[in-house]
Amino acid sequence: MALSVDELKAKIVEKAEKSPKPQLYIKDFYACDPDAKPRQIKNVANELVREGKLMFWSSGSTTMYAAPHRIQNEEKKK
Amino acid sequence: MAKHETPLLDQLEGGPWPSFVSDLKAQAETKPEVWDILGQLELSYKDRITHWKHGGIVGVFGYGGGIVGRYSDVPEQFPGVEHFHTIRVAQPASKYYSTENLRKLCDLWEKHGSGVTNMHGSTGDIILLGTRTENLEPFFWDLTHEMGQDLGGSGSNLRSPACCLGLSRCEWSCYDTQDACYHLTLHYQDEIHRPAFPYKFKFKFSGCANDCVAAIARADVSVIGTWKDKIRIDQAAVKEYIAGNYPSNGGSHAGRDWGPFDIKKEVLDLCPTECMWMEGDELKIDDAECTRCMHCINVMPRALRPGAEQGATILVGAKAPILEGAQMSTLMVPFMKVSKDNEYEELIDFIEKIWDWWMEVGKNRERVGESMQRVGLPTFIKVMDLEPIPQMIKEPRCNPYVFWAEEEVEGGFERDIDEFRARHAA
Repeated sequence: MALSVDELKAKIVEKAEKSPKPQLYIKDFYACDPDAKPRQIKNVANELVREGKLMFWSSGSTTMYAAPHRIQNEEKKK
Repeated sequence: MAKHETPLLDQLEGGPWPSFVSDLKAQAETKPEVWDILGQLELSYKDRITHWKHGGIVGVFGYGGGIVGRYSDVPEQFPGVEHFHTIRVAQPASKYYSTENLRKLCDLWEKHGSGVTNMHGSTGDIILLGTRTENLEPFFWDLTHEMGQDLGGSGSNLRSPACCLGLSRCEWSCYDTQDACYHLTLHYQDEIHRPAFPYKFKFKFSGCANDCVAAIARADVSVIGTWKDKIRIDQAAVKEYIAGNYPSNGGSHAGRDWGPFDIKKEVLDLCPTECMWMEGDELKIDDAECTRCMHCINVMPRALRPGAEQGATILVGAKAPILEGAQMSTLMVPFMKVSKDNEYEELIDFIEKIWDWWMEVGKNRERVGESMQRVGLPTFIKVMDLEPIPQMIKEPRCNPYVFWAEEEVEGGFERDIDEFRARHAA
């Protein structure tokens, strides 16, 4: 992992905030630190969920990650 | 009294079979919101479109699976199903329950939800259908703290592992499927509760090739019991079967007169590799040719038993999607010791090698079997550090996803085909 955990967290949150899509697959975050293992990215993303900075969205078969305010707005529109 | 007219659904109550419509009407007597399921479903039948929205953000704290958000897109008409979330509860190994446990679970679901259940979902979980968002955390607290049970998997998680009855009731089980299932469920709690993968991932444990949990047809990793040495034969019992003193198939076809037992017709001629024959009144088996299909053992269980050196065959890549039809898993390891003595170390190493590769290479919403097809079997074999063996393909020259590299072909791809065909007719 090239970035520290805090740096990676900041990159992931930034991606979730600025990405054109409100919901992102876990793989979409791999580019935040190409040197990190997928499992490390997953662990950091899940930590962000516990901290309330990301949120899960699930169709039942697939789970995606999102910035809470963006996904909550999307859900209201539906 | 019915809250909605349901003439289309009412037709499903006709006929001799049980009807979910009748069940829901009975449940609606105590849970009025259930009328709105019937009302919304009737509307869906009329409109020929679902009235459930797709997915949602609901869950319980710390978990990224086990709850599936369901919302109605016509909540003004059917307020009882405005929120109608599904909860998946992990089933015990082999689905052994006490009635006390089932009563408690149903009472809990009556308290926090609609009381409607599906025993079980296709992955094996207990499915509890229909509750509101504000009920999720109280239900989860009671489930985990009062009953000591946990949620199962959903979404891009490892799904609740499932197993057959195994050694608890079956003499053919070649390893302890329940222990393996329980051990790996505990070992992979993080993967079950927090999404890690490009898509869902399942493993299932069957004790023998009868494969009572259909692992080969639907699990990304199918662990199917087998043996390495020879089928154990009791020649005296073979004679009893031939004499008609023992019922074939353990008596399971006894409801009708099928005529006297015919070992040639019912066993020898049905062996897929034709590796069995009679010498006088002795049954002989060429075990090197046996594929361990279990047919002969199923027919003559008192005469034949799996060999004594037992373990499991590991296959990878099955999926059973509704639209495209099932894809069976592909054999990767013909025999692996599956033992609690080393805490399933070899199996765990194998599974994690698949995950390390698939998490990197798998596309979003691509099952591992699809990734294998996309990259080709030879690439996947190399990733897994395995040697190619004939059992990995269905038959020579027919497998659609084996590709030859130029350096593996004598003369490369530029050789003169006419000259080659002069020596080898097509």
